[in-house]
Amino acid sequence: MAGFDKFAERLTRNLARGSSRRSLLAWIGGTVTGAAALPVLPVSRAVASEHGGGGGARASQSTGNIQDPGDPASCDYWRYCAIDGFLCTCCGGTVSSCPPGTEMSPITWIGTCTNPADNRAYIISYNDCCGLSSCGQCMCNRNEGDRPQVRPQSNNDYNWCLGTESAVYNCSTAIIIGVALDS
Amino acid sequence: MRRLGVVFAGAFLAGVMSVPAAAQTFPDPLPNEPIPSVETLPDHYPPNWVLVHDFNMNSIVDGRVAIADIGSPDRALKGFVRATQFASFLYSSAKNEIYTAETFYTRFDRGERTDAITIWDGVTLQPKGEIILPGGKRQASLGYKSIFQFTNHERWALISNFTPAQSVRVIDLENRTVLNEVDLPGCAHIYPTGERGFATLCADGSMTSIVLDEKGQVASSKVLEKIYDIDKQPMFNTPAMAGTTAWFVSFYGQLKPFDMSGPVAKPIAGSWSLGTAEGGTPEWRPSGWQVITSDAAGLLYVLMTPNGKEGTHKDGGTEVWVYDPAKKARVRRIALKGAAMAVDVTREATPHVVVAGADGSIDVYDAATGAFVRTLGSTVAHMPMSLTVVTP
Repeated sequence: MAGFDKFAERLTRNLARGSSRRSLLAWIGGTVTGAAALPVLPVSRAVASEHGGGGGARASQSTGNIQDPGDPASCDYWRYCAIDGFLCTCCGGTVSSCPPGTEMSPITWIGTCTNPADNRAYIISYNDCCGLSSCGQCMCNRNEGDRPQVRPQSNNDYNWCLGTESAVYNCSTAIIIGVALDS
Repeated sequence: MRRLGVVFAGAFLAGVMSVPAAAQTFPDPLPNEPIPSVETLPDHYPPNWVLVHDFNMNSIVDGRVAIADIGSPDRALKGFVRATQFASFLYSSAKNEIYTAETFYTRFDRGERTDAITIWDGVTLQPKGEIILPGGKRQASLGYKSIFQFTNHERWALISNFTPAQSVRVIDLENRTVLNEVDLPGCAHIYPTGERGFATLCADGSMTSIVLDEKGQVASSKVLEKIYDIDKQPMFNTPAMAGTTAWFVSFYGQLKPFDMSGPVAKPIAGSWSLGTAEGGTPEWRPSGWQVITSDAAGLLYVLMTPNGKEGTHKDGGTEVWVYDPAKKARVRRIALKGAAMAVDVTREATPHVVVAGADGSIDVYDAATGAFVRTLGSTVAHMPMSLTVVTP
């Protein structure tokens, strides 16, 4: 977290950059407190694309909650609309927890995904799990609302194993941190 | 070990002396072969060689930079160097050196972190030296080319940091030292300018140009406001360089050139669009990681998907659209065998379009006709992310 403290310090010393600073501060607020009020990003039901391995047939999973529908071990699951990485549900973790032996990154990127059961747009935090080599199972890359790296809070190309003991990437979760406000 | 070796060799030779009858067809045995024997590569890589960044997603800590001969389908992989843990790399054909920027831990995935640039000899692929990057700041992400760039005639390199604080380090490759770190909050990626400097794009839509003095310190800087609109026309991070013109392409197919020849990057007035075509569902858009490149003549090559809509910008392209900026017109469409994530064009006398497929394959097409030439299959890399052709 030392780097993050320095980042915050640097931000306060560089208050000249209006809009980018505001969006960054919103991002920090969102990721640290989990209570951002973010506009609804365009959400479409893009076909999941896969790059890499671990795409073989596997038995489906269920959340057991009809308000949280779909297969969390499948790239089509609604929360994965902007994910890029291995699904922790296939790696010993769950959609909202990391596999044993890893550490969850406190800093991350976020997406806005629509839950088909209640038709609400949720803010999803894609916290990476870190400290073990690539899981290698259930690679999933979807990019709804993903933007270039100059907008880090909306970019899934970064290794978000930041602020952890180790930056080695294992898998990605998809955690609900709030309901998006309509813009 | 030596004694054991003699015993082993003795047993081996005794076996050889009992020649089976069938071997009389071949009265002379195969000659002995020298041990040890290790291949080397030429001083100057030929123009049909391509450096392929293998991100190796299934084991990111074992990433590589592969050297591939696109004219040799049976022996395409000439060798590789290590590129661990979200590495990025550069290749200097003048010095025949590969530079990998990497991150290491003393216990593989844990322990003390070291970031370093390793300098690899292009002939032996052995490390010649390294430059330590202190502070654990190096940007770990997909290995976009514009996070690690040369300046000052390849004597220096510029490398992005992301902690998530953003800064750029100035590296003296010849003296193997870090010269400077330029804080650039809100800005990302490195686009070299002039003799010694770079521009960077910032999240507020501005572009900042930095001029460096002979010691790598900031001599001057210039901010141009409202250069682009990330919401209306988000641009892919990495442009195609045609001479000293950087051609950016937006998610929606608009082209935006910048003159990088002077100390300050300057937008070039005008409008360029890749246009549309039949068959889009709903429309053709650029898609991939290394989505745009140029050839020696300045034509642009862009990976395009017919499934263009929100979120498809990294699915990969099934066609390459060839665009002539001088004519402001698309001059060719090259249909690919499958979705490709990266594209580059060789500087051969007969240039080839090389694409890295989403399935890991490397395919080769004739740049002038678009005709399919050959596939190297997945014999070069597990997950090819970027392609760097050898330039003279």
